[in-house]
Amino acid sequence: MMRAWLGRMWFLVRQTLARRKRRSEMDEELEFHLEKATAASVAAGMTAEEARRQALITFGGVERTREQCHEQRPGWWMGTVAQDVRYALRGFRRNAAFTITVIATLALGIGATTAVFSVVDRILFRSLPYAHDDRLVSIGLVQSLEKQEFMLGGFFYEWRDNQKPFEAVAAQGTMLHACDLVEANPAQLNCIHVQSGFLPLLGISPMLGRNFLPEEDQPNSPRVALISYGLWQDHFNRDAGILSRQIDVDGSLVRVIGVLPKGFELPTLQVPDLMLPMALNEGLERKANPGTPMRAFARLRPGVSIEQAKAEMDPLFVQTRDALIPPQLRKDFHLSIRSLRDRETQDVKLTAWILLAAVLAVLLIACANVASLMMARGEARERELAVRSALGASRGRLIRQTLTEAVLLSFAGATAGMALAKGLLRAFLAMAPTGIPFLSKASLDLRIVLFTVILSLACGALFGLLPALQTPRAVALAARATKSRKRAVLRRSLVVGQLAISMVLLSGAALLLRSFANMEQQSLGIETQRVLTVRIALPGFRYNTAQKRMQFYLQTEAALRRLPGIRAVSFSDSVPPGGWHDDRRYSELAVAGKPRPEQGIGGSVISRGVTPDYFQALNIPIVRGRNFSEADRNGNEPLVVLSRLLAARLFPGEDPIGKRMQTGHDGPWSTIVGVAENARNGGLTEQDVPEVYILRRSVVQDWGERAQVGEGISGAAPMMIVDAALPPAAVAPWVRSQIAGIDPTVPVKIETLTEQVNRLADRPRFESALLGFFAFCGLLMAVIGLYGVISFVAAQRTQEIGVRMALGATRVDILRLIAGEGVRLIAFGGVLGLAAALAAARLLKSLLFNVGTYDPAIYLAVVVLLALVALAATLIPARAAMKVEPVEALRYE
Amino acid sequence: MPPSTDLLQGTLDVLILQTLAPGPMHGWGVAQRIQQVSKEVLQIGQGSLYPALHRLEYKGWIRSDWGSSDNNRRAKFYELTVEGRKQLETELATWERLSAAIKLVLGQEAQA
Repeated sequence: MMRAWLGRMWFLVRQTLARRKRRSEMDEELEFHLEKATAASVAAGMTAEEARRQALITFGGVERTREQCHEQRPGWWMGTVAQDVRYALRGFRRNAAFTITVIATLALGIGATTAVFSVVDRILFRSLPYAHDDRLVSIGLVQSLEKQEFMLGGFFYEWRDNQKPFEAVAAQGTMLHACDLVEANPAQLNCIHVQSGFLPLLGISPMLGRNFLPEEDQPNSPRVALISYGLWQDHFNRDAGILSRQIDVDGSLVRVIGVLPKGFELPTLQVPDLMLPMALNEGLERKANPGTPMRAFARLRPGVSIEQAKAEMDPLFVQTRDALIPPQLRKDFHLSIRSLRDRETQDVKLTAWILLAAVLAVLLIACANVASLMMARGEARERELAVRSALGASRGRLIRQTLTEAVLLSFAGATAGMALAKGLLRAFLAMAPTGIPFLSKASLDLRIVLFTVILSLACGALFGLLPALQTPRAVALAARATKSRKRAVLRRSLVVGQLAISMVLLSGAALLLRSFANMEQQSLGIETQRVLTVRIALPGFRYNTAQKRMQFYLQTEAALRRLPGIRAVSFSDSVPPGGWHDDRRYSELAVAGKPRPEQGIGGSVISRGVTPDYFQALNIPIVRGRNFSEADRNGNEPLVVLSRLLAARLFPGEDPIGKRMQTGHDGPWSTIVGVAENARNGGLTEQDVPEVYILRRSVVQDWGERAQVGEGISGAAPMMIVDAALPPAAVAPWVRSQIAGIDPTVPVKIETLTEQVNRLADRPRFESALLGFFAFCGLLMAVIGLYGVISFVAAQRTQEIGVRMALGATRVDILRLIAGEGVRLIAFGGVLGLAAALAAARLLKSLLFNVGTYDPAIYLAVVVLLALVALAATLIPARAAMKVEPVEALRYE
Repeated sequence: MPPSTDLLQGTLDVLILQTLAPGPMHGWGVAQRIQQVSKEVLQIGQGSLYPALHRLEYKGWIRSDWGSSDNNRRAKFYELTVEGRKQLETELATWERLSAAIKLVLGQEAQA
């Protein structure tokens, strides 16, 4: 440490000595030249004095020669860079308020932009992790109950063999399913079935081993599997001999033939642990109706657009649809082809664009602020520049000086901005909803940092250079600083622009916040406090009959009921208000004695298989008839309860109690025993959906394969809903131990209903919080800009103020004079911003809940807020101007 | 004062190298020599001479050393380095080619 310091000092001393030596040697050399010239003239007959004089005249400027000799040295200008930097730093220290404001503004602009861009980059711009990702599409059918493209075996092979627009078509299973790795160290895995052409379609090759062969994708072929990188690493400790191993999956031996590349995810954004061949029987599938469901993807031929592909596929779609779908359902089925990116990002795209627009607006405001500040500084320094130029500084040198300052400021701003971006990104990730794809993988992007730094550097340098670029005017040297009218106009328009942009940001944020508040305050119609959901993933191969499953669940129910403080324990296959639930078509419902509703209309109906405690646990009142009873569970008769909405639709003006209805085409005829109050069941923001509650009886046929749990993992597990009188944190461990007492190996997931409801509000919370933050930053910077301009104007007019006051103007007149300037800017910016905000509000429409895009109260509030804050920023310098003493003002400068 | 001719950019460097070819010389000597040899046509002011000498030195074509002049005064003497000699040869060859070409052009113009 000390040594290094000494070394450095020695280097500096040597440098200085060397410079001094060079200088004295040059002086000696030039002096020698002069003497020789004098001697020559004397020899020619001149007097010594005259000769010396002549020699000096011929010789010219010594200092200039010295400079020029110095400038021959390679890299001589580096010395001046250090000089410029020192000079700039001294200037910054003298003007700390300016420096801090510029750096803070830059940091905010760079930080926010970088953080947001890092988040939306993957969603909007970055290529998907597949080859030819721009040509990959999701193809299939959509219908009112399933808006994501799906395929059926009966369609798939026809389409694959007869299509023209695609290079390749392949499919994966509809969803991940739980499967068990059976060995000394057992694990439950997420498995997916894919066709042999699936990985080649995506351009993915296994990191180790090979892909499935077509013959392995046949029924009754030897069982093989690909495992994920994560499974290979964590479970198999990166065993190099994994390829020769047989593993036991769900009780049968499977040979591992490859390891998937690190980070591989399905086009459905799920990460499988184990990949198995779909091994469908093509011949059977072709004849099957409708065949195995799957998700199909395809790669467009080069140059074929999605619209063209759609047009080309349409005849094939119509032909297969007419062959396979019963006539009454046909019009509900449509062909859909979407780019893979659209399928992956879904509705997040809009949010991403809005965030990006908001953050670019903030960056714009920041740049305007920096420009405005640099211009003000430039003007204030006009005289200094003129003096330096008169003292011999070249234009290039002055420009270099200004650039040095801009670079230094940008560098400081960028450093602070990077730190801010890091913090912001962490905050985003912490508060972000799980539904936003790629977010967890977002990381700071250096390209973006570079881009924002260059941008801010550009605005700083450009406006900072304006004064330096002009030939320093002689007038600037005169006692009074002269003002450039043009630049004042430019600064004012910058402020108007800033105010307008922050108006847009503020109103957008206000709309989202209002909508979020509405969402939080709405009544859900269910009890969420102290309600736990317990999801148990039963391994399918061990609980392979409905009998075994029913036995397990009933045993668990009884065990949980024995716990202290438990008020109700119920089964259901889903919970309101959002998330997965079982849908039926309204037209599938049939009421005894009435004609069936017309096919294809009426939308969907939610069906839930529940036990009597469901209504008690969620506190949903029965408004008519009665609830299911415990006795009904052991009875043989199928019973249902309708929601008030459904009852009103099926039985307008009638009493539904005791009527019989069918809840599906081939479902049993059930008796309606009651009507329950509506509960929010279409998510937090959507319309309520009619709902039918089907009693889940304690008979084997009610515990069949149909039951599913959410999260895209299919299994045979209904969830349990537990209403506890004690805090969830106390109850959850008891629940776990009770279940472990029955089967210690089954994975159990316990959540409070409040958590689940909060998760539904995550996205709007995220959106409104971010937009609110940006609006706040924007407003802050716009106000700083306004404050800067008004104080500058006030300072500029100090003398004028003195004259006015000497001529009899009152202090109020002065206040009016200066504040009037600000008010004009505010009014202009506000009106401009309001117009822009109203135009931009349409974009937010789909994100809003119970708020009109043109809600007058919101815009009024925003206008008032902006006006108040901006007025405050105007009044501070205006008051200062008002207090100026006339005598001092006249003496100013 | 005799009329001075503006030197082509870069020509000064060759002149200096050529002047230094016979042996070491100080700055004043170089200026005088060029003036004499060119029959007073080329006058090199110190304002261009010394920057040029420094430039050539930084390029490594000449090196300098302090010695004593005729009247025992300390003076800085410049001499060609090996590299400078090579550079001079190249520059002379280039010059020859160039001037021959210019002569050709001017001669043809005269005939036309």
